[in-house]
Amino acid sequence: MALLEIRNITKIFGGLIALRDVSFDVNSSEIVGLIGPNGAGKSTLFNIISGFHHPDKGRILYKDVQINGLEIDRIARMGIGRIFQEPTLFMQETVFENVISGLHRHYQEAAWKALLHTPGANREENNKRDKALGILEFMELSSLKDELAANLPHGWQRVLAIAIALASEPDLLLLDEPVTGMNPSETASMIEKIRQIRERGVTVLIVEHDMRAVMSLCDRIIVLNLGVKLVEGTPDKIKNDERVIEAYLGKQVL
Amino acid sequence: MKLLNSSTVSRNSRLKLGAIIVALAVLIILPLCIESDYIKHLLIMVCIGTILGMTFSMLYSAGLITLGAAAFYAVGAYTSTMLVTSLGLSFWAALPLTIIISAVLSLGFGAIFVRNAGVAFVIITLIFVQVIVIAAGQIEFLGGWGGIMNIPRPDSLGPVEFVSKRDCYYLILAILLLIVVIYNAIYSSRIGRAWRAIKLSPNLAGTLGINAYRYRLLAFVIGSTTAALAGCFYAHYFQNITPGAFAGWLSIYVQLYAVLGGLEFYILGPAIGSVIMTFVPEYLRVVKEIEPIITGLLLLIIILFFPGGILGTIKNPPDFNLTQLKSRLNRMRISKAQGDKS
Ligand SMILES: Nc1ncnc2c1ncn2[C@@H]1O[C@H](COP(=O)(O)OP(=O)(O)O)[C@@H](O)[C@H]1O
Ligand SMILES: [Mg+2]
Repeated sequence: MALLEIRNITKIFGGLIALRDVSFDVNSSEIVGLIGPNGAGKSTLFNIISGFHHPDKGRILYKDVQINGLEIDRIARMGIGRIFQEPTLFMQETVFENVISGLHRHYQEAAWKALLHTPGANREENNKRDKALGILEFMELSSLKDELAANLPHGWQRVLAIAIALASEPDLLLLDEPVTGMNPSETASMIEKIRQIRERGVTVLIVEHDMRAVMSLCDRIIVLNLGVKLVEGTPDKIKNDERVIEAYLGKQVL
Repeated sequence: MKLLNSSTVSRNSRLKLGAIIVALAVLIILPLCIESDYIKHLLIMVCIGTILGMTFSMLYSAGLITLGAAAFYAVGAYTSTMLVTSLGLSFWAALPLTIIISAVLSLGFGAIFVRNAGVAFVIITLIFVQVIVIAAGQIEFLGGWGGIMNIPRPDSLGPVEFVSKRDCYYLILAILLLIVVIYNAIYSSRIGRAWRAIKLSPNLAGTLGINAYRYRLLAFVIGSTTAALAGCFYAHYFQNITPGAFAGWLSIYVQLYAVLGGLEFYILGPAIGSVIMTFVPEYLRVVKEIEPIITGLLLLIIILFFPGGILGTIKNPPDFNLTQLKSRLNRMRISKAQGDKS
């Protein structure tokens, strides 16, 4: 079943056509790769799905509901999480506090109960703390939990960004270049983590330049070039596609 | 990695508790040890200033910079005054009504104002406070530019008559402490965390489902209503209000309380800033004519060289050496040169 349907999306910035009539589906529990040279429009598409930009033409359906036009936070509450290409964290807070903030939308108790520290609110707060600790454990961030986000090395900031997104318990997770800037062993462990995230029932749409990572991870790949969808298919099909190789200008990465 | 074990945690919290008890004792005993009514008046103004500074900090905690902290201070003062003088209500009936009316008004205005965070909000609030002042001055019914005189003191509560400065001090202290307790609960709850989130990164907060607009509006309403409460007390304590009292310096000063004390300390910062800004100018009165200049210069120096404010500087002391100072001056020169060019 299609969880996310991208339908004829066109986005124009001034005179620049960043996306032209792009359509594809993402099915439940898939890992789908979105690749293409710099400037292809990958991040723009992510921004449209998560509500930061509005498309000039086309529609985005999520769980059969049109979401383009909705507020960013509304889309998030419907279960779409994302990480940004640029490190985007609550830099002046600790790793633990960052993850707690990620849990925000799952608080159930009324706010006034939290202010009065009623037993129910306290129990919920403790549950959330345990949950945050569990996520830190899963992302192997436990030992860094009291460190300020700003002080983390670049690779760990990416890991934290994913931990925060996971805390919001998305059904669909958009990852914009999650392993960029990581060394091979960090990359390998991140790839493994993304697999485990999918096993937890999260659907993943991932933008990544590291071709080896993308090919090994994704069930399906969509190639964008200059705002246009070139091809779509399994990693094997993409690897051998003439147009894809050409778009990457003979870069022998595939 | 600093690993706090439970014994250091409990020692810290015991230290904190001790400090709070000592501070409370001092605040309660203070007026009994002071003869001068004038000093008691200053203490009262410190409390009011702290409350107003705290409302600035609350908006700041949600990523909003207001220059209109005095606006709802005026609204509260005028609302309560009209309820008491025109409708003949008792102070104790006017107080909750003032809170409700201000909450409704701030919800209405805030719904429009907080659509724009950033510079637009700063300017809107600055204009708003001026509009409130001019409106109060132009409307005959509100006493015009001459204001309203002979506002009654709060009605006595049993044996407490609110005639003496001491009793008024205890009233505003009680209000202040209540606000501190409430603010503290809010800051440590998920509301405070959501405010910090939208301040630190509105984009990330949005992708976590936090509605920045609603949370900013909440901060605006709570802050404005708090300021109105302070205004209500002020009117009945001072017993006369004029539009001019809410214009000009007051509206700039309350913001400075928070900056001076330390922007990141949402409660203690305004308190310390208010103490200093209330007492320092008083003792500079010796050099009366140039007092505002000295106060202004001191503020400029602190803001330029200690951007963390007093508490921020104590917490993270800068290692003051000459090279650092020189490079800082250099940077200022460079940015000034660039500013001149553009
Ligand atoms: N907010 C924006 N305003 C104007 N142009 C933009 C904006 N965002 C992206 N673009 C342009 O759209 C094109 C696609 O950018 P982007 O989606 O970031 O590419 P990718 O992520 O595939 O590298 C680029 O030419 C970029 O300059
Ligand atoms: Mg990009």
